[in-house]
Amino acid sequence: MIRLAIKSLMNRRASVLLTVIAIAVSVTLLLAVERVREQVQSHFANTVSGTDLIIGARTGQTQLLLSSVFHIGSMTNNMSWESFEDIRERPEVSWAIPMSLGDSVQGLPVVATTNAYFEHFKYGNKQALEFSQGSAFASDEEVVLGADAAEKLSKTMGDDIIIAHGSGGISFSEHDQHPLTVTGVLQRTGTPVDQAVFVTLHSLEMIHSGEHEHSGHDHHNEAPADSISAALLGLKAKPLALRLQRQINTYEKEPLTALLPGMTLQELWKTLRVFEQALTAISAMVVLIGLLGMLTIMLASLRERRREMAVLRAVGAGPGTIFGLLLSEALLLTVVGAFSGLLLLYGLQWSLAGVIQSQTGLILSTTWPGASEWWRMALVIIVGFMLSLIPAWRAYRQSLADGLTVKI
Amino acid sequence: MHAVSIEKLLFSWSGQQPTLDIPAWQIKQGETVLLRGPSGSGKSTLLSLLAGINTPQSGSLNLFETAFPSLSGRQRDRYRADNIGYIFQQFNLLPYLSALDNALLACQFSKKRRQRIAEQGSSAEATANEMLQRLGLNSAQIEQPAHTLSVGQQQRVAAARALLGAPKLLIADEPTSALDAEHRDTFIQLLLELSSQNNTTVIFVTHDAALSSYFDKHVELNELNQAGAQP
Repeated sequence: MIRLAIKSLMNRRASVLLTVIAIAVSVTLLLAVERVREQVQSHFANTVSGTDLIIGARTGQTQLLLSSVFHIGSMTNNMSWESFEDIRERPEVSWAIPMSLGDSVQGLPVVATTNAYFEHFKYGNKQALEFSQGSAFASDEEVVLGADAAEKLSKTMGDDIIIAHGSGGISFSEHDQHPLTVTGVLQRTGTPVDQAVFVTLHSLEMIHSGEHEHSGHDHHNEAPADSISAALLGLKAKPLALRLQRQINTYEKEPLTALLPGMTLQELWKTLRVFEQALTAISAMVVLIGLLGMLTIMLASLRERRREMAVLRAVGAGPGTIFGLLLSEALLLTVVGAFSGLLLLYGLQWSLAGVIQSQTGLILSTTWPGASEWWRMALVIIVGFMLSLIPAWRAYRQSLADGLTVKI
Repeated sequence: MHAVSIEKLLFSWSGQQPTLDIPAWQIKQGETVLLRGPSGSGKSTLLSLLAGINTPQSGSLNLFETAFPSLSGRQRDRYRADNIGYIFQQFNLLPYLSALDNALLACQFSKKRRQRIAEQGSSAEATANEMLQRLGLNSAQIEQPAHTLSVGQQQRVAAARALLGAPKLLIADEPTSALDAEHRDTFIQLLLELSSQNNTTVIFVTHDAALSSYFDKHVELNELNQAGAQP
């Protein structure tokens, strides 16, 4: 009977093909929403694996997290260097990375920091940053590039770079007069680190103040900057994080914000969940439309297939067999559609991975479909199966009524 | 043994006036019968009863001593698959199957038909091939999709399908009405020749009384069926 179903479908291959495509595309959409959500979340979680607290001037936690780690958006207020030092010196703090943000080179974010960044920053499964070439800063005239940044700027060791003030692709005030030399390139991490251009805090300070004189000035014992945008903290013991967060949030000398990256991410996902659910709902609707398309085509074909049914009845097929034939046709369509959708998803992911990575820094890993994706596919097939009960039932009734004499 | 034995059969479509009212009718096994009836005489209804699609409201209808009305729908479908060959007026074939696959269709639905062929020491496919060739299809046409064949060829494939696996009864519903006179005569000759080999009983429905010379018996449905007759 399956063989008969396949041959019958092949006979109507144009409309069948369209149906399969409609189902496949809709399934791709449904799976893509889930896959992008999962991967964005794990990508974000991977980016901040070693950091216990992030601090900055009083602002929204989400804004602080996004701008400090993901270079999305910018900070309007800074926190003073004194406060940073004060917090850094606390006994529970194991390490601290100060960062000044907000500048860019040809659209790539500039992160002004100290060598503590390369020493303590962890990503993914608590992996440390590693240099593919060169090493960390030795002086304020040096710059370290993330893997993508080096590629996009097409700079290597020893090349000069000009830092501009402001962020975004086009900047208004370019500080052409202040070239820095590339002394290190980081290995690829698959995180926003790859996009960043790292300079020292002091060199950024000089760019902003318009100082032209280089080292030699007696800056050495002073703070490298008056203020910073944010700082990443590592604690000696994780359980201390909540208490320290509370203390920093109620810091007396200036209004500060401290956040636990994992928790803030969770909150971010929670606020985005409505949006996600809307997307899932829409893609589910699209799948339903795809399946309704199949239903329409099957119902429409029943009229012209009455002869076929009568012939089958004549050679001894019962109405139950006709019912089964229609069901297996629909099942074939949805199964083939769902799996083509899966293949299409992989095809798209494979072909668009480069574009997505360069546009968003997001690396979509082509993993084997997860449980939730299998579930979604199973659901599509189940719904398709249930819908196909309608034409199958109609065919059953029709073949009972027609018997061997079809009056067309 | 009687191939068909009808007594006091009454059939009506959902409470209307009876369409069929046959006091008595018998066909002996192996007989070939020409059944003539104008349209509206209850011809299709009678055929659907004989094929086990519908059952009479009252009276008896036995096929080879099997009481049809007492069987369930599923049993009647099985009986039809195993024992009855059926040829339509036209559009007999599934257009997307080859002539050979169409001929094999009945055997696909019936284990008994396959067994009967196996008892002859042959396979269904070989027998179908042989039969189609005897009916005048060449080996290329046998592999062609059914919709590419001419009407005459399609009817011959239908005959092969109906007779493959030696059914006890062949019902042919005006199978020659779409054929010209010359094709009609050869078709009927071949059909009867193949039927007689397996001692298959033939009920051949037509409105063309000129064909009666080919058959053992000529029955007028109007004489058989008392429904609608003057009270």
